[in-house]
Amino acid sequence: MRGPDVSWYLIVSAILFSIGVLGVILRRSPLIVLLSLEIMLNAANLALISFARLHGDHDGQIFALAVMAVAASEVVVGLGLIVAVARRKLVLDVDRFRVLRG
Amino acid sequence: MTQGAWLCLLAPLGGAWAITVMGDSISRRTAAWISTISVFTAFAGALVSFVALLRKGAEERETMTTAWTWLSTGSFDVGLSLLIDPLSVTMMLIVSGVGGLIVLYSVGYMEGDPEERRYFAYMSFFVFSMLLLVQAGNFLILLVGWGLVGLASYLLIGFWHNRPEAVAAAKKAFIMNAFGDATMALAFFVLIWQTGTLEFAPAFAGAADLSSTALNLVALGLLGGAVAKSAQIPLHTWLPDAMEGPTPVSALIHAATMVTAGVYLIVRAHPIFELAPSIQDLAAGLGAITLLVAGLVALVQTDIKRVIAYSTMSQIGYMFLAVGLGAYSNGMFHLMTHAFFKALLFMAAGLVIHHLAGEQDIRKMGGVRRIMPRTYIAFLIGSLALVGIPPLSGFFSKDSILAAALASGGYGQVLFAFGLVGALLTGLYTFRLFFIVFRGEPSPLVEEHAHGHHGEGPWTMTVPVAVLTLLAVIGGWIQIAGLWHYFGDWLHDVAEPLVEPTVTQDYIASALAVGLGLAGMAIAWIFYAAPRRRPLPRLAAARDILEHKFYFDELYDAVFYKPAVWISAQGKRFVEDPLIGGSITGVTSGARRAGGALGEAQTGYLRTYALAIAGGVAVLIVVFVAVQ
Repeated sequence: MRGPDVSWYLIVSAILFSIGVLGVILRRSPLIVLLSLEIMLNAANLALISFARLHGDHDGQIFALAVMAVAASEVVVGLGLIVAVARRKLVLDVDRFRVLRG
Repeated sequence: MTQGAWLCLLAPLGGAWAITVMGDSISRRTAAWISTISVFTAFAGALVSFVALLRKGAEERETMTTAWTWLSTGSFDVGLSLLIDPLSVTMMLIVSGVGGLIVLYSVGYMEGDPEERRYFAYMSFFVFSMLLLVQAGNFLILLVGWGLVGLASYLLIGFWHNRPEAVAAAKKAFIMNAFGDATMALAFFVLIWQTGTLEFAPAFAGAADLSSTALNLVALGLLGGAVAKSAQIPLHTWLPDAMEGPTPVSALIHAATMVTAGVYLIVRAHPIFELAPSIQDLAAGLGAITLLVAGLVALVQTDIKRVIAYSTMSQIGYMFLAVGLGAYSNGMFHLMTHAFFKALLFMAAGLVIHHLAGEQDIRKMGGVRRIMPRTYIAFLIGSLALVGIPPLSGFFSKDSILAAALASGGYGQVLFAFGLVGALLTGLYTFRLFFIVFRGEPSPLVEEHAHGHHGEGPWTMTVPVAVLTLLAVIGGWIQIAGLWHYFGDWLHDVAEPLVEPTVTQDYIASALAVGLGLAGMAIAWIFYAAPRRRPLPRLAAARDILEHKFYFDELYDAVFYKPAVWISAQGKRFVEDPLIGGSITGVTSGARRAGGALGEAQTGYLRTYALAIAGGVAVLIVVFVAVQ
């Protein structure tokens, strides 16, 4: 097998995932949170494809395709919500949406 | 014959059903006549059975008829069956015959009552229940009839349901009777357990092999039921209060039906009582005590119906005395004549009450003879029959009981003495009532009602009184000591007597009882009717005891009611509130608090949730790695 060792791909995947997690946790703009989510999903995709290469089969790649489809529909819903919030002239700040507080 | 019995049983039920179902679509008058006709139809059915029985030989006068198997559990089967034998036919004739006259009387008495239909439905239902009781072919059906009689009496005593006293009296009667029902049910449980059957004949046969403990338990349970239903000491307190019901109800319950059920039960179950002689003696003793106590209390009552009610208790005491000593036909004979003259007294008293616009206090009456001469005659005949003056019916029946007591050895002779004192008291209280109400100058109240009435009552009321007057006169002639004893022969095969008094004993008992009865009347005359009346002796202490009816109500209040209330109050204080109520409150407030605490975790910040998920995943990773 050519190219770098599989562990390098996984390290990149882990770094990307961590960036995504931190983005979700720390950022307040829903748009950025959504972006961070996408980064996490792509980190997972990268890991899946790496393992697919490692094992030499196609399961991981098919999974990655499924994840992309889910991610696309998620973005549609998420952006739709954000636009709906923006059209009601509310401040776009996830910390202010705490109606479901216990 | 069996058709006659079924007709007798079902006609009153049909009457009650028809009145109930048709409700407002029939007039009140129609309802009254439906009820009357249904009860007289029952009487016709009883007559058919009676004639059919008479035609048979004395040995084969017992027929069972089973409609269907009512209850079937393994080897224990109970059918809806009727027993037709001389005993049940006698009761059927008394219940439906006297009952029919009383219902006819009610047509006039209850006229104008806004709830007449309900009244007549209840009356028919009562007669049906009583007929079911006396016709029952096994103990279970008997218990059903027994319970239905209790229910019907509750409904009738509390008929005027907007009077608190009537409702209280109805409840009292029901509770006392329920106590008796319970002891009877326990007796039947023992019977089922030990003999495996509730059919009369097999149960009696099986009872012979039982241990004496079991037998005593069964007999005691049956006696408990009989005592409660027949208002004998110590379960008698409901009967005087039951006078709150309409007067015809008092006549029906206290003359022809309900209260005689206990006597009937003892005669019906006499093989069991004979196997438990101590319990049978107890029955006779209770009867003797009741006849004295009730006779004494009747001396001071001021309500016309209560005097008669206490007299009923006293007369049923005589019947218990008789059947307790094994003189079954004598007890049944007195039951029959008592049904005649006591129904007569109640209904004559009802005529007076009706005439005086509902007044029952004898202190306000007096001189009623002037305005109601025919009622006066009827009441006089009823009173004389009650006291037992020859040749009226009470003479033959009561004296045969006393003769049987005289012939029953030492114990019987003690009870004989009780009975003689009772005869004196009977003369005294009966004629005290009679003189106060009927003799002398009319009181202001009586004057007030002297005019404006046509006659002494509508024909529906006077005809039954006339018929019963006739029966009270001639009813006793079917059995005359020393001459003939048709009644005793009639019942001989059903309940063979344990004691047969000689003719001499009969005459001794008669002479003594009549003498004492006349003496009682004379005393009543001296104090209440003589031209120069003597003042009543001032026996304050005795009067106090009698006016409180020997403190039975107070005793039961202190022994049963007050402790029950106390226990309930303590239970509320120490169990209900802290344990039951407290645990419910604890559960709810605990759930509320836990919910509040957990709710804190729901911050509403998206980041918290994300962190929680990420943290959870991290923990899982560590765990997986560590496990591997």
